[in-house]
Amino acid sequence: MKRFDCMTRLATRLSDELVILSLGASVDEWYNAAPHMREASLFQQQLGCVTPQAFGLAVGLPERRIISLDTDGGLLFNLGILATLGNEQPKNLFIVVWDNEQYQSIGGPKTHTASGRVDLAGIARASGIDHAYTATTLEEFDAHCEAGLKADVPYVVVAKVSGTVQPEIKRKHSDGREDKYIFVRHVEKTEGITIMGPSEHN
Amino acid sequence: MQQSAVEAVIRGLKRAGVTLVCYLPDSLFKELYPALDADPDIRTIQVTNEGEGAAICGGLFLSGQRAALVMENSGLRASVEPLSRMGLGAGIPVVMLMSYRGDMGENNWWAVPHGITMEPILKALRIPYTVEREEADIEQSIVNAYELAYSSYYHTAVALSGSIVR
Repeated sequence: MKRFDCMTRLATRLSDELVILSLGASVDEWYNAAPHMREASLFQQQLGCVTPQAFGLAVGLPERRIISLDTDGGLLFNLGILATLGNEQPKNLFIVVWDNEQYQSIGGPKTHTASGRVDLAGIARASGIDHAYTATTLEEFDAHCEAGLKADVPYVVVAKVSGTVQPEIKRKHSDGREDKYIFVRHVEKTEGITIMGPSEHN
Repeated sequence: MQQSAVEAVIRGLKRAGVTLVCYLPDSLFKELYPALDADPDIRTIQVTNEGEGAAICGGLFLSGQRAALVMENSGLRASVEPLSRMGLGAGIPVVMLMSYRGDMGENNWWAVPHGITMEPILKALRIPYTVEREEADIEQSIVNAYELAYSSYYHTAVALSGSIVR
């Protein structure tokens, strides 16, 4: 199963959701798989922070569906967030974990899921997230997207994907700071709120 | 902490518009956490480590609400990576309120590292901070931390020490 194909399927289901995603090759893949979601996606750069940030956003915007596109390496960096979500039970957070069993962006050293003994969905369930599943086919993944996007409990799908990267895709040119402004202005516009307002004086 | 200091913290957070507190409990603030939990205007989320709390606070910033990360100052060390990435990489601010373990008067050997490392780490990250030792200054100091964080879109911190937490 290719991550890019999964992304393309997920993208067709999205319109007014907000997405926070991890670093590495998945950034450019999402940029191309979901061009209509570029302004609604925050491209972040750190392991262990994607799902916590998405959760914070979900707390602040309880009427909006928030999607975390995390990774095996990223989730393993802070498994504690699963316990926090198990206790907090956000109603509007859908978490996809792209599990390619490797740290792809630095050349592919294996992560702990590569052994076959470490089951991220199992860890999530044991942390109190009842709806946590592993998908190994595109059809399974798509079915979990359908269910996860309308669930009123936290929903995790661990997508077992190959280590291939979609070739010849357009690179994202913006950095983290520009990405934040684009995302914040999109949230302001679509929510009718002010997040980064004017100073006291100009 | 005295009840009056707990109330001063909560007044400061409310004046700053805080609606969410992420915390990992510690001993010096032990009276503060249940008071925050009980406050109807503030949602609390207990986290598994302070770096996770920093990231949740950063996510809440993106929603237009205001968060505080409340912790012992040892939590600053656990938060350095997400704080660096969010603050320097993206300009997503986190306001921290921490107990100052290891300050003058510390009587626990295990807290000595917290005192030695806190201010150098804050300076390394270029995080503006104030150390408050007088209860009368708590409320305004917290408000000031939010003013600057939302002008700079960068982290700020308030450390409470002295008779406030002893």
